[in-house]
Amino acid sequence: MRVILVVLPTPEVGRSEREAIGAARALATAFAGEVNVALVGPAAESVAERPERAGLTLEASANARTFFIAHPMLRGYAPELYVSALEQLLATVRPDVILFPGRTIALEIAPRLAYRLGAAMVTDVIGLQAEDGAVVITKPVYGGKAHAMLVASRPPVVVCVRPRAFDPIEGEIVGGDTTWVEVALDPSLERTRLLERIQEESATGTALEEAQIVVSGGRGIGGPEGFRLLEELARWLGGAVGASRAACDAGWVPASWQIGQTGKKVAPDLYLAVGISGASQHVVGISRAKCIVAINTDPHAPIFKVADLGIVEAYENIIPVLIEEVKRLRVAGKA
Amino acid sequence: MRVIVCVTQILDPEIPPGEFRLNAERTAAAEGIGQLVMSIFDENAVEVALQLRERMIEREPVEVIALTVGPPSAADVLRRALSLRADRAILISSEGGPVLDGVVVASLLKAAVERLHPVDLVLCGRETGDWHGGQVGSFLAEALGWTCVTFVSRIEATDGGFLMRRQSDEGWEIVWAARPAVATITNEETNVPRLPKVRDTMLAARAPIPMWTIPELVSDVTGLWGANGRLQVRELVIPGTSKACEWIEGETVTEKAVHLVRALRERRIL
Ligand SMILES: Cc1cc2nc3c(=O)[nH]c(=O)nc-3n(C[C@H](O)[C@H](O)[C@H](O)COP(=O)(O)OP(=O)(O)OC[C@H]3O[C@@H](n4cnc5c(N)ncnc54)[C@H](O)[C@@H]3O)c2cc1C
Repeated sequence: MRVILVVLPTPEVGRSEREAIGAARALATAFAGEVNVALVGPAAESVAERPERAGLTLEASANARTFFIAHPMLRGYAPELYVSALEQLLATVRPDVILFPGRTIALEIAPRLAYRLGAAMVTDVIGLQAEDGAVVITKPVYGGKAHAMLVASRPPVVVCVRPRAFDPIEGEIVGGDTTWVEVALDPSLERTRLLERIQEESATGTALEEAQIVVSGGRGIGGPEGFRLLEELARWLGGAVGASRAACDAGWVPASWQIGQTGKKVAPDLYLAVGISGASQHVVGISRAKCIVAINTDPHAPIFKVADLGIVEAYENIIPVLIEEVKRLRVAGKA
Repeated sequence: MRVIVCVTQILDPEIPPGEFRLNAERTAAAEGIGQLVMSIFDENAVEVALQLRERMIEREPVEVIALTVGPPSAADVLRRALSLRADRAILISSEGGPVLDGVVVASLLKAAVERLHPVDLVLCGRETGDWHGGQVGSFLAEALGWTCVTFVSRIEATDGGFLMRRQSDEGWEIVWAARPAVATITNEETNVPRLPKVRDTMLAARAPIPMWTIPELVSDVTGLWGANGRLQVRELVIPGTSKACEWIEGETVTEKAVHLVRALRERRIL
């Protein structure tokens, strides 16, 4: 029996966490294996307190086992202690595959754990297959211009799954045998300390990763003022605003708005790319968007190769008119 | 204070998808399809180190050393670092060694960092611009037994440690890390790489670059080989992406906007 362990080290159990479990369950089916889930830190406490989330069906047998690891020192930013806690869990559970969601904190813990285990390690995973006992892992390389298929034949293997690449599970994430794991943490291990945490609000109040509509701007927007127009449009559409790396690097919008290979991955119903050329590193972040609309002055911009609908126009001309059209639609809808 | 920046040479990540080709074995990009450049987050890392040196000017001299593991031709990225005014650069030649995976690179960097003792801070890019591994910095910290902060965009030195601005999923964190430390660097408006001056580029082109070999750095070379084989590259494929874009036309911008809204309503998106 192969064991796949999903490690959830974030305080919130959100879509990325549900996708990680989704990826694990699909692999377990192919492997005839079992899924174990480890909730580490504040998530362990909050999920244990309130296992059922309103409106969701309970799938009690979906995980073979659930481990809760809570400790007063597992709070905030404490990567060394999380790694130490997981090492202690892995002294008793011996998974073949250890799966993390693609969150920044997971991307920090996973390689350190892999190093200690002497395990193969792959980040940004978009496909997992079982093949004669080996795991075949797919990840985009060269900024999404190619997909690499890697074979991990010797367990364990540690993977971080890319957000918005796997279908999330619905329902309860806790199942099977639930075990509280006692860990002993040495405070001297911790050589970092969190001093301050700054939350960057989305401009429209809708979280970028959850938004059904995303209006995104690039270098073509030319400055922060242009982004006010995009924000207004996003607000009327009930969506969020994103950006390309070029717009973030220019300081027009916060870095947490960046979408792409090294930014957020989004899967909205509608993605409006405005003044974005469509570099592969940007496009990999929107590969699961249902409908992509591109607005660009250059008819040869690569973004039109991935767009469903395209408008060749300067954004300054079209966005204000589009805002008026959407307003009209919204007001008519209410009446 | 001694700061090491680990840099690596990659295929220019900005080459258009239409020009991208695979090698005959389909295990990597074909050679010669584009220029070789310094990986983009390593450029940000060099910038962070240079800014730290500039801010420390009144307090403490900071020496910035660029390190790379690669073939002798990778000296080009070290020259780039020198042209940006890194104090010195060292090439760790990978010739005759095992395939460079994250563990091998981290083991060689660790040996070099130890040889350069005392080192206060090591910076790496958050991931390479070709394979996006995102692990060398963390592996190196583990190998050295140092602390590591990832996704850092700015660093200040404080007594006994560093203040690091770390990008999180929701925004930012200010993290204090004990010295010595490893940090992996991500991009932000404050660390956009500067451009070299012509004169510095000319000087860097002529600068001698010391080369360290694997046997000089690690006594147990067979141990290095042992790191390989955990993962095999089976094949790379080029995903088909092209969609048929439907052009929204109109005599005026208002017409275009009206047509767009109509097309979105037909698709039941609005
Ligand atoms: C390792 C790595 C990771 C990366 N990660 C990311 C990432 O996560 N996200 C990301 O976005 N990028 C990422 N990049 C950068 C990426 O390669 C591109 O450089 C970047 O996406 C370009 O941004 P842009 O499209 O806004 O700018 P440009 O490529 O400069 O495009 C600007 C576009 O605006 C158009 N334009 C100009 N004026 C107007 C106007 N008035 N109205 C309408 N259109 C106009 C132009 O025709 C052009 O197409 C990464 C690169 C590397 C190497």
